[in-house]
Amino acid sequence: MEAARRDPSQFDALYRRYLAQVYSFAYYELGDHHAAEDATERTFLSALANIHRFEERARPADGDGASTFRVWLFRIARNAIANQRRTVRRRPTAPIEAAAIVADPLDVEGDAVRREEGSAAWLAVGRQPTDRRRALILRFVDEMSTAEIAGVMGRSEGAIRVLIHRALRSVGRDLRGRSR
Amino acid sequence: MTFLGRDALEVDALVTDRYLESLLAGHAPVPGDGRGGAMLDREVRFAAHRLGLDLPHFYPSFRFEERLGRRLADLAASLRFPAAAGAEGVVIPFGGIGPGGVDPATADLLDELAGFDDPRRPGRPLLIGGAITSAALSLAGVAWVAWRRNHPAATPMARAIRAVNAARTRLA
Repeated sequence: MEAARRDPSQFDALYRRYLAQVYSFAYYELGDHHAAEDATERTFLSALANIHRFEERARPADGDGASTFRVWLFRIARNAIANQRRTVRRRPTAPIEAAAIVADPLDVEGDAVRREEGSAAWLAVGRQPTDRRRALILRFVDEMSTAEIAGVMGRSEGAIRVLIHRALRSVGRDLRGRSR
Repeated sequence: MTFLGRDALEVDALVTDRYLESLLAGHAPVPGDGRGGAMLDREVRFAAHRLGLDLPHFYPSFRFEERLGRRLADLAASLRFPAAAGAEGVVIPFGGIGPGGVDPATADLLDELAGFDDPRRPGRPLLIGGAITSAALSLAGVAWVAWRRNHPAATPMARAIRAVNAARTRLA
């Protein structure tokens, strides 16, 4: 991180490290590959152009290599996604058929079940209100800590814990209700 | 909501948070195995397990990744401060092909995918967006291998094919 701030050409390592995470976040939010790519592109271009403004907030007590860069990057992504959403006006409703691209040719039946379960989970998350959905995606897909999600969403850690707890309860009821 | 009710909700949320830490680190018991998580809401545990297993990761197309990489390289070059006199050094290409013939982008991707191969963690789908460019090592191929290693084949024939492939790799 420090190297990239001193020399922007070092940003490549950060780009490669976080590309999939930012893209996943954007795709879940926008539900369209092209829109997700646009938002991802804007995120990284903006991050690089403003990297001199990034302030490391991690403390030594947070552990070796701890950094708040990902939180900063995802705050940029959140804004880029909001702008993109105003343009495309879409909700994350994309089907999961694309899973076939990595499907196991030796286990067709298992893949079908898995895709169906994946679709159900995705749709249940998609039916949640925006802030709940966003918190779940950051927790389960981007695997952020509660502290990081709080940083990205601009809320307290306690509020995020309650938000995720309520969201999970709601998703659990939804999934069980639809599987009956 | 009453003061006590709010306290109880916050305690429940804290328990959920601790459970998720374990789940996402691959240490939590799965629902129904009778171990741990007794304080946890049944619906929460069920949903957490399903989302941890079923929500796919997405990856953009290789073509997009490389195109954006080049744009960032151009921008980085324009942002770089001029070196002070006497401080010129060797310029390392941004995102280029390494001397060993291994594309750094591919190497990084393999590192990234290695994270999906942690045996402690449940496997889940990885989806790739847009068109895949033809390359010596395709992104889809890499993704499939990573996914496949998380999902050992169940049939004897599949296991035999994997054993032969593994032996060939070792001999090569």
